[in-house]
Formats: sequence, structure tokens, C-alpha cells
Amino acid sequence: MTGPPPVRVEKALALMPELEALAPLRALLVSIARPDEATVWSSSGPYLTLGKRGVHPDELRRRMPQAFQRITEHLQALFKAYVEALECQQRADAAGVVLALLGAGRLEEEVGRHTQARTWYEVALRVAETLQDRRPEVEVLRALGYVCVALGEHAASARHFQRSLALAEAEFDQAGATAASEGLGDVAVAQGQWGGAQAWYSRGLRLAEAASDAPHAGRLERQLGVLARKQRDLAAAGEFLRRARERFEAAGPPDEMARVLNEQGRLDAQLGRYTAASAAYREALAWAQRAPRDARLELSIRLNLAELDLEAGRLLEAEAELRRAEQVAIGGHVLRPLAQIYTLMGRLRGAQGDETGFVFFEQAIELAKAVERSVATEAQVYHAYGLFRSRLGQQDEARAYLERARELFDSLGEAVERERVEAELRALSA
Amino acid sequence: MIPPVRMEPSVPSAVPSREALALLRILVVAGEGGSASGLLQNLRQWADDGRLEIDTAPDLPRAVRQLSGQRWDVVLAVLGEHPDDDLSWWVDTLRGATGSPRLIAVAQAPSMGLVLRAEKSGVLDVLALPLRREELVRALERVRSVVSETAVPLPLVEPHAVGPYALVGQSAAMLDVYKLLARVAGSSATVLVQGESGTGKEVAARAIHMNGPHASGAFVAVNCAAIPENLLESELFGHEKGAFTGAVTRKIGRFEQAGNGTLFLDEIADMSLALQAKILRAVQEREIERVGGSETIPVDVRLIAATNRDLKEAIKQGRFREDLYYRLAVVTIRLPTLGERGDDLVLLTAYYVRLFAQRYGKKIQAISDRALGLLRAHAWVGNVRELRNVIERAVIVATDETLRAEHLPDELRGEEATLADRPQGGLLTLAEAEARHIARVLAHTNGQIGAAAEILGIHRNTLTRKMKEYGL
Repeated sequence: MTGPPPVRVEKALALMPELEALAPLRALLVSIARPDEATVWSSSGPYLTLGKRGVHPDELRRRMPQAFQRITEHLQALFKAYVEALECQQRADAAGVVLALLGAGRLEEEVGRHTQARTWYEVALRVAETLQDRRPEVEVLRALGYVCVALGEHAASARHFQRSLALAEAEFDQAGATAASEGLGDVAVAQGQWGGAQAWYSRGLRLAEAASDAPHAGRLERQLGVLARKQRDLAAAGEFLRRARERFEAAGPPDEMARVLNEQGRLDAQLGRYTAASAAYREALAWAQRAPRDARLELSIRLNLAELDLEAGRLLEAEAELRRAEQVAIGGHVLRPLAQIYTLMGRLRGAQGDETGFVFFEQAIELAKAVERSVATEAQVYHAYGLFRSRLGQQDEARAYLERARELFDSLGEAVERERVEAELRALSA
Repeated sequence: MIPPVRMEPSVPSAVPSREALALLRILVVAGEGGSASGLLQNLRQWADDGRLEIDTAPDLPRAVRQLSGQRWDVVLAVLGEHPDDDLSWWVDTLRGATGSPRLIAVAQAPSMGLVLRAEKSGVLDVLALPLRREELVRALERVRSVVSETAVPLPLVEPHAVGPYALVGQSAAMLDVYKLLARVAGSSATVLVQGESGTGKEVAARAIHMNGPHASGAFVAVNCAAIPENLLESELFGHEKGAFTGAVTRKIGRFEQAGNGTLFLDEIADMSLALQAKILRAVQEREIERVGGSETIPVDVRLIAATNRDLKEAIKQGRFREDLYYRLAVVTIRLPTLGERGDDLVLLTAYYVRLFAQRYGKKIQAISDRALGLLRAHAWVGNVRELRNVIERAVIVATDETLRAEHLPDELRGEEATLADRPQGGLLTLAEAEARHIARVLAHTNGQIGAAAEILGIHRNTLTRKMKEYGL
């Protein structure tokens, strides 16, 4: 091949300041990065991570117009939403104003700009609060609740959902009350409060069933299935998932069916039914293919499949699945799950007794800090890193990493995870 | 020191492996929102000779359910509005299906790009709608020819074990390597092993270590390209607790770990110039300092370095220190590529089949003529490492005593010539030949249009236009 070699992503990103305006360029750079064929087969090939992929400036320049087009389209859509809001204002249609502003917020959320989305929703809320009809306010509060979950602001999120629920009930808006109950359940899950989550989801389910809202009921049954599995009530989990599946099988949205099957796979895996779990994940992928492209959903399924293979000792299959997941994440610029992907890669190398596998944990920590900005993820990576070191007989380092994980879980108030780490530490000392 | 590889005489005896006229089980899957009934009717009308068993699935998810339950030979799938996406989903789906069924994709006016991608992914054929009888029948005949592969017994190989690896091969190129390894092992000289990726540089380094004066010490391998630059120094020289953020405990580096043994520095060309200077000092002075430490620690290690790059070229470009090069390249061993090793491919295949058959509890005694042909025809960019990988996967999916073409990865199966089945007797149209050549050059340049245009001798705008025209 002629021409100079590609620039490594780690070096390319080091040259790019952390500016909001450069975010689309950063996304483009990452999405076109790839390993060259010779590197894939070199002895460092099995340890390839995002940072070690290569980028050609020439290709980046060539692809820039596509990025500009996407930015322009996004801005056009935002401006259009604003003009729509303005026209509604002119017609004294305040509900229309709220709807247009909500639309703009959702556009921001779709491209991962959660802070900007919240700003749109806050403007929408100010308008909604002036309305006689409280249903637009219920909807805006729900949108705010979800965007706060995405931003990790759980207390604020719970406040928005609570208010949304109170207003919906006052307005006899059953769909609004169901959605707010679901949102409250989601916040409780995000905070590890499973009992609370179960109560909210059950309440939502009762409301959805009373309103014959099948899609909503199916979703809540899946969530209840997840909770039951987490609390090791596997029979109840199976029953919830069976009911959800029945609701979606006939005419439900394919992405919901994919989610139910993804969860069914996790349940089967927990029950030690490898073949059934694998079949459920594969069918889930097929349903996901029928739905509008959702890289996060696909990644979730692929990661579960990889973990299943890893736990069953099918290391080659696990690695192949993880590499596919990595490609989906990088190609679709869904970088958050990368930390999880590399943590699993590290676990896989640990299972092979390969000390150089530590490079994956190092990359995962870097991503958890710089990209995902999630203390919870960082703590999980340190936990797995500690176990990796322990497996290789490096007890001092193992203890240090587990202590770091405990410290991080402490800071989050994550009692369940903290206890798991504590147990590992006790086992190390013994 | 390295005994020659012994091999039992291998006279391939052809034995029929399956019934040539076996029943074919075909699953027909409609496209999104479409119906498979027309297709099914045609299929039954055109190809019903009593040797086909046909069933349908209304969509991909239901097809997955059917595929997980039973064994199918062929999936005939209608691609939807996004044929490229659909094709990659199908390829992915069939990877995990029982019995590795072959895919025949059906699409409205398939582009040249789709056909080439399908070939690369091991898809048996891409047929255009409306279906033509002769095309479908020809595709099914190809499946039948696959079913009638002939088994060839695997030769017996007695390799020379080198740690977890082995030296296998009797080619002239490898015999030269063995002689050089034997000569150099007895001394303590620093050795530079050069060779393309996957040629076995670490295996050679281990052989030197195990047959040399440092054999009683440890063999410590460091992959310089795998480890992030900011961690490599502490990995090599160790660090004191608190030397930097993340230095949670004192760490003994690889130089110290390899004390009285051998330190193998793989992919040494990937090291920064600053670190190269530190390595040079360690080689010259035979002492190191841990990161964040002030104590000078003497080290007695034999150093073996390896690279797949041209270090002299790197020196010219100012990316590798000349003084370090001469310190490392006291003796240089160049390993041949798999392509340069002729029939070693068969010996290596036999060796790996047995190795992995034992590991995965399989009883594989033979390889089919077609599978062997595919292995011989493949361009092994990753050399022995790639072959090892391919054989391991094949052994995992194999279900009887013969390794067949269907057990090989899609990429290899996709390379199999399909041109002979073409109505023109394998001759391409000018456009087809051009599209294939452009695709090959683009693959060679890793998709870089500028570099590809340069190789093709055309302007990049012309290349972009042609790529668009052919759907590449």
C-alpha cells in the first residue's frame, strides 16, 4: 500500500480539544477508524482497542461533507421546530408551542445532546405551566424526567416524574399516569432500589391494564420480569416475560419483542439453559433488525450473547461477538458501551490466563472517565480488573483495584455492588 | 537441537463422504412485508425432483426460530429495501445456525457491490428478481456439489514442542531457519527476529531460549504494540508505589522478571524514540531503574527482539534509533511467510486439526479435498496465526470425522471460484472485471480512495464515480 501510515486514534484524539463544536468531527473520526489487515493478524492484533485503530486524514477530509450535511440537517430541524413554536404562539396556540418545543428537545436527545434537550424541555415547561389543560405539562415533565435519568440526575428525575404523576391523576389522564409510574420505576432501578421499582411498575401495570393499553402493559411486564430476575425470583420472571412476549408477538413493535427476548435470554442464562439463552438472543437480534436501527439495543443483545459464550467457556465465539459489538459501537458512534465491551474482553483474556489482557481494562477505565463519564461504570471496570489480577495471582494489585471499586461504589451509595466487592476482598484476605 | 519434523507417508485415499444425491432441506424466507408463496411455487415447480424438502418462514425472526430448531442445507432469503443491511444480518444470523446452512440471497436488481460483498461473506449466490429457473437450479446444483466432497486422510506430524507452541514444517525455507536457530541458541547473543505477522516470531524466540544458556530462567514476552505507550515504560522497567496516578502498588517490571532468563520484545518498532533510548541504556549498561525509583538495578537477561516492519526503513524515516538497531541485530533471523513454505500448509493443518480436536474432544481424521483446496488457495495475510485460527474455528463447528469446506469461515468459502458456473463459461464482462479489480485494490488500500486511485492509475474523481456506478 502506498502513502503514509494511518494515525492512531489515541494520538488523533489527543490533538483535538474538548470543544462542543468539534463533537461531530470527533464522532466522524471515531466512526471511520479501523485496524489495518496486517495489524489484525500481528501479535498485538488480539489486543486492539479503539485507541489503537488508525485514521487516515485523507479519508476524514473526504467524509467531512457528510458530517456537515448531518449538522445542517439537525440545525434545520431545530430551527424549523422553533419557527413552528413561533407560529403557534402567533395563533395563541400554547399547546402547539409546547409540542413544537418538545419536538426540538427530542431531536437533541436523538443525537445524544441531553443537556441541550433539557434546556428545550425547560422552556416548554414554562409555557405548559400557563395552560389550563395540564396534559402538555404532564408530557413535558415526563420528558424532563427521562432526560435527567440520562444525565444521571436521579433526584431531579424523580421529582419531575412525581409531579407528572400527580398532574395526570388529577386530570384523569390514565396514559400519562401509567407513563409517569413507569418513569418512577426506571429511576428507582437506576438507583438500585428494586423494591421501589417493583411497586411503581406494578402500579403502572394496573393502570395500563385498566386502560387496555397493551404495548405499555407489555413493557411494564418486561420491566417486572427484569426485577424479578434480579431478585432471583426466576419463576415470576419467566411468567412476566411470557405474558409480555404474548402481547408483543402478535402485533407489537419489533424492538419491544427484541427487548423481551433479550431479557428472556438473560433469564435462561441464569437458569443455566445455554442453548435456550443463545436461541433467545439470536431471535432478539432478528427482531431488532426489523425495527428502526437502534445500535444500543443491538449492542445490549450482542454483549449478553458474548457474556453467555464467555461463561460457557466458548471463548472464540465470545471474542467474535465482542469484536462485532465493538464494530457496531464504533461504526454507529455509540461509544458508551465500549467500556463494557473492553471489560468483557479483559475478562476473556483473564480466562485464557493472558496477562497482557490488562490493556483492555486500562482502555475501559479511560473510556469510563472520558466518554461515558460514569462513576458506576468505572467502579464496575475496577471490580472486574481486580478479579482479573487475582486470577493471575497478583494479589496486591487485585486488592488495590477492588478497594478502588469499593470506594467508587461507596460514593454512589451502591450497597449491593459494594457488598459484592467487599466479599471479594474478604476472600482475598482469607 | 531441533529435531526434524517426522511425517508418515501420506497417500491420500479418496473416500466418499456423503451421498452425492442427498436430500436438500431449503428454508425460504420472504422479504419484509412480502410473501414467499410465489417464490415457493416457482421453487417447487422448477426444482422438484424429489430431492428437495422445502419450508417457509414469513420473516427473519421466525426464520431464526426455525433455524435454531432444525438443520437446513440452504436458506433462500429475499432481501428487502436495504439489501446490504439485510445481507449482513443474514450472514450474521447463519453463523450461529445449526449445520451452517448456505445462503442464497434474492434481491431486486442486485448491484455489483452487493454481489461482491456477498461473495466475500461466503454467500452461495445472489439471484435477481424475477427469479430465472436456470439460475436457481444452478445455485442448487452447487450446493449438491458441496455435499459430495471427498475425504483425504490427514498426515501424521510429529512436531518439535516449544512451550505452548510447536515448530512444524519441512520446507526448505524452514530448514534454513532451523539451522540458524540451532547455531544462535548456544550463545547469549541478542537476536532480531524478522517476519510478517503470524509467521511465528515468538515461537522462534522461545526455541532459542529453551535451547540456550538461559533456559533455566524465565521466558518473558512483552508485546510493545499492544500496551499503551504511557504504560509501556512501567511495564518494562517496573514502578514504585505512587510513582504516577494508578501506581497503586510497587511493580516489578519485565526486565527484572526475566532475570537470568530471556526477555522477548515483540513488535519493537512500535516503541517511542524516548523508550528506545531507555532500552538502549538497559542493553548497554545491563541495568535499569524503576519508574519513580532512584535505585539502579542490575539485570542479566538475554534479549530477543522481533518486528514485522522494515527497521532500516524506519531508521531512514527517523522512527527507529540506528544505535539500538545495531545492538539488537547482532544476529538476524528472517522467518518465511506461509506462502513461501509450500506444503508446510498441509503439515500445519494436520497438526492444528489434531491439536484442537484433542482440546475440544473431537475425532477428526480427515479433511475434504474441497476444504484443502480452499486452504491452499487462500492468501494468508496472517500467515500461520491466521491458519491456526481458521482451523480452531473449523474444528469447533465440525460434527463428524472429516473437516469440510462448510466448516471453514465465510471469507474462505467466498473466495471459491464461482465463475465456472456462469453461462459464459466463466468469462466476465468488462464491467464485472473492472468492478472486481477496483474492489480488490480498495481492499488492499484499506478503503483509501487516494491510494487506490494511485495504484489504478486514474484520477480519484473517476474512481469515486466508478465506485458509485458499481455500488462499491
